Amino acid sequence: MNYNLNQASERTAGKLPVIASLRKLIGIISGERRNVTIAFAAIFVNAGLNLLGPYLVGYTIDNYIQTKNYPGVLHFAGILLAMYITAFIFNYAQMRMMGGIGQRMLFTLRNSVFSKLQELPLDFFNQNKAGDLISRINNDTDKVNQFFSQSLMQFIGSLIMMTGAGIILLVINLPLGLAALSPALILWILTKSISPWLRKKNEASLKSLGSLSAEVQESLANFKVVIAFDRRDYFRRRFAEVNGENYKRSVQAGIANNILSPVYTFASNIGQLIVLALGIWLIIRGNFTVGLLISFIAYISNFYNPLRQIAALWANFQLALAAWDRISYLLSFENNLSLVNDPGKGKSQSFIHFGDVSFSYPNGAEVLHKVSFNLQRGRTYAFVGPTGGGKTTTASLTARLYDSTKGSILLDGRDIRSYTPCERASKIGFILQEPLLFSGTVRDNILYGNPECASLTNHQLEKALEDSHLAALLNRFDRGLETPVQASGEGISLGQKQIIAFMRAILRKPELLILDEATANIDTVTEQQLEAILNNLPESTTKVIIAHRLNTIENADEIFFVNAGKIIAAGSFREALDLLMHSRVES
Amino acid sequence: MVRPKQSSEAGPKQNGGLFSVLGPYAGIVTVLIIMALAGSAINLFIPKIIARGIDAFSANSFRAGTVIIEFLIAAAGIFVFTFFQGVLQTLTAERVAKDLRNKMAEKLSHQTYSFILNSNPSKLLTNMTSDMDSVKMFVAQAFVTIISSLFVIIGASVLLIMINWKLALAVLVIVPVLTTAFIIVFRKVKVIFKKSREVIDALNRIINESILGAALIRVLNSQQPENQKFLEKNMESRDLGLTIVRLFSVLVPIIMFVSNAAVVIILALGGHYVVAGSLTLGNFAAFNSYLVMLIFPVMMIGFMSNIIAAATASYGRIRQVLDAPPPAERGTVSSGIRGDISVKNISLSYEKKPVLKDVSFSVRAGSNCAIIGPTAAGKSLLLSLIANIITPDSGGIEFDGIPIENYSVQSMHKQTGYVFQDSVIFNLSLRENIAFSDNVTEESLRKAIETAELTDFIESLPERLDTVVAERGTSLSGGQKQRIMLARALAINPKILLLDDFTSRVDRKTENKILCNIRNNYPEMTLVSVTQKIAPVRHFEQIILLMEGEIIATGKHKDLLESSPEYIQIYSSQKSTHHYEL
Repeated sequence: MNYNLNQASERTAGKLPVIASLRKLIGIISGERRNVTIAFAAIFVNAGLNLLGPYLVGYTIDNYIQTKNYPGVLHFAGILLAMYITAFIFNYAQMRMMGGIGQRMLFTLRNSVFSKLQELPLDFFNQNKAGDLISRINNDTDKVNQFFSQSLMQFIGSLIMMTGAGIILLVINLPLGLAALSPALILWILTKSISPWLRKKNEASLKSLGSLSAEVQESLANFKVVIAFDRRDYFRRRFAEVNGENYKRSVQAGIANNILSPVYTFASNIGQLIVLALGIWLIIRGNFTVGLLISFIAYISNFYNPLRQIAALWANFQLALAAWDRISYLLSFENNLSLVNDPGKGKSQSFIHFGDVSFSYPNGAEVLHKVSFNLQRGRTYAFVGPTGGGKTTTASLTARLYDSTKGSILLDGRDIRSYTPCERASKIGFILQEPLLFSGTVRDNILYGNPECASLTNHQLEKALEDSHLAALLNRFDRGLETPVQASGEGISLGQKQIIAFMRAILRKPELLILDEATANIDTVTEQQLEAILNNLPESTTKVIIAHRLNTIENADEIFFVNAGKIIAAGSFREALDLLMHSRVES
Repeated sequence: MVRPKQSSEAGPKQNGGLFSVLGPYAGIVTVLIIMALAGSAINLFIPKIIARGIDAFSANSFRAGTVIIEFLIAAAGIFVFTFFQGVLQTLTAERVAKDLRNKMAEKLSHQTYSFILNSNPSKLLTNMTSDMDSVKMFVAQAFVTIISSLFVIIGASVLLIMINWKLALAVLVIVPVLTTAFIIVFRKVKVIFKKSREVIDALNRIINESILGAALIRVLNSQQPENQKFLEKNMESRDLGLTIVRLFSVLVPIIMFVSNAAVVIILALGGHYVVAGSLTLGNFAAFNSYLVMLIFPVMMIGFMSNIIAAATASYGRIRQVLDAPPPAERGTVSSGIRGDISVKNISLSYEKKPVLKDVSFSVRAGSNCAIIGPTAAGKSLLLSLIANIITPDSGGIEFDGIPIENYSVQSMHKQTGYVFQDSVIFNLSLRENIAFSDNVTEESLRKAIETAELTDFIESLPERLDTVVAERGTSLSGGQKQRIMLARALAINPKILLLDDFTSRVDRKTENKILCNIRNNYPEMTLVSVTQKIAPVRHFEQIILLMEGEIIATGKHKDLLESSPEYIQIYSSQKSTHHYEL
């Protein structure tokens, strides 16, 4: 399956209509129907009361000020004040409700993005660069965040205010109202026609920011290489390049975003002019009053000011939509590792069975070709062979990090695809080639992914480590379980990381333990200690050791040569050696 | 430490810092201010034109032509000025950001490795993106908006006072009321904003680690706890968001209500003046229009003060990077070296924990030296010191008897090839990854590739040397990556080659071939190899046994077997496989 996000965004750029994106976005808050209703009711009351104001002012002018009836003026001023106090209360309710909905929507959105990330298979992470992925998810949710927490309330309030003012304009005097609103129609057509272009510009600008981040991330994270090879100039040049590109794209997007605002102001002014000229003409013909003209001018402001605000927010809105598009594309990915049903009776007596398994990475050459082998419970196997031969791929298929392209893989006689991830994880312990730590303490890292031991006190945990013969390894850390570690820590050596990964896997007591070059950077004395620990594992534990160092695989019951996509059973260590020494199996 | 400004007293100095961003762009900024002021000035005139129209009509002297022409000129003027203001704002903001970013990159490129580590690459990335955004926001919006808002507030007030000072004063009461409301709410919001930024940073960290650890999470099926971790922080973020909403839910209705109250004042008091004949109906209408004009800038200044506070904090963080002292002056010796290394009394601590203690040894030019020892003995750090990527707390290193500080940086790194323990592959073509340094000739590239036994592998690739290898590509195995790293180091034809646990991911046969190739193709090179395995380095001129930051023993394999019990222990842990030497 194609999980490449960058190819995807090019494909959909500017294509998804606003309404369709919005509908998807609104789908997120389907649970808030009651709150949305209340919020909208409050918005309507508030907008209605605010809109009634100018009309009352105009009415007062015509009927009391022009007739010099001051008590009447005061009377209406009182009514107006009471109205505005009511509006204040509804306004508060509106803000509270809408703001709350926005925050909860954002909350749900973030959660679904994150759980989607967790749900997707490893393929997804291989097809997208980590730096790009990180910047993308952080930036995009931030853009949506900004819109939701800052602009949404204004946006909706303005929209309703504008609609109300428009309706009142038309009701007071239809011809004058139509004339006053005609510039808005032109605006609407203009906005609609340049929106896709606007979005494209914003997309491009977001994308160039992504590559800028990726560049910085890559260079700074690997700064020692930059220094050791004296490529500081190179870093500057590459950076200046992406920075220049980002500048170009951002200026284009910025100017595009700024185009609408002056046009809107202009339209608003033209609207006022139309009202003034046409209104006075109507008054001369006796079809209109001065008071109504003053109200009308106020309504024009009530119509065009929100419109201008919407225009100002429109760019934000477009940006949020562009970001949302990218997010929803991510959300549309499905995990391609689905569960299949397999009662699995008597298909194979072996613990692990590979039957004619072939595998190739997406858009890549075949890594394994029609591979078949069986592993029995409780035995120790070694996979050896030159680098790039397919050892890690074989292990990854056994742990179902990927599905095979062809052929079947059985675990305990059942199709590996029929196990739930939870069942599978509890059976298989896989120590990866690249050890990874999470920010926290040694304890956090040892217990990572181990709910059974999570609640143990340090004392109990030490006891548990003792039982698994792991306790001595803790001496490698100056503050034992509580030694702090960083994900990108330089304070901890690669060997120490591998020790933590080893402890993490053993403590989970897996039925199948795969060690993928798991001790490559550990000194040989400690390695012997680890070997002793492995030998003390329960009889039934099946061990698969991937290595190229012969001493680590000496005790294997059976050795497989993995090379050029083929796996050859070579018998015991002695037999394998004889095979190597005498027939010189060429790799 | 830069904190967001809390009171106006603390403001000026920090703001001076932020405003200094605009210094180099004084010309364009001046034009920008003129545009903004011109636009606002014309804006102030429009209600005036309307008022005159209404009054002229009431006095039966209405001339449609003049009003329309005046009005159209004003509208066109506003359009032109605001349009160019928008363009200029964008240009200035992006220019400022671009130049600042380049300055940062320039600065960072001269810094030491430990500076980059201490400043934390991901924090530096934030400085270049989010922090830069908030400075951009200041340049593009806050700065000009505040100036033109002040102008409009003052202008509208003056015009109101000129029309009718008593009514004007009654209406202008709203300005201090609104300002106070803003100050009170924003002071509270600022604290929460800061907290919510921290929570978002935490959210991002969880996302980042879950991406980098994707494989591990899937192996352990720990998606659920990851989700749980995320959910907790996300809830925190939501609750902070809701607190901000609560504060704004008070502020916005107050603004609306206060401005509406002003409408009531105009109606009641202004109505009185119109009835009494001291105010014309047109000016009454103008009062209403100016009121609308007044409220908007007051709100704007409130919002912009927030942007300025955020930008001040961001700019402070950027300045920290820009103002960091440059690394110590380097020497100018640029002569070619023979390759004698001498390490003298080196000590190094990491987070107050000594990791190397008074280490001394020397390596003769063209000889082979191995450093062995248990995990976390300080072997890799020792190599980094020799490569001059980090500097020791005390003691020194000499090449050919001259302290390495005396060499120019270029000549130092040009003559030292360093193969790191972890594989660093850039998202570039293989050619660029291997010929990573500038002065690599085709010939030395070819030799390096051959020596690293990569020729067959590269031949098998669709685009050979021009194949782009992805950052975390699936196309390369651990061993292939490590050999690419070796080729990269050899391609610069180094006098000294530092190998850090190079053979850990390369199979025995390839390893032997490579070591043999190195000896044949680069006979004069000094080789220092950190390793776990004794067998491949048995014949080396010198083996150094390092434990817990101290040299325990040093000598040839044969000598060490007689003199060092620790060495014997390590040797015997590997010995069982010795007679199977392939």
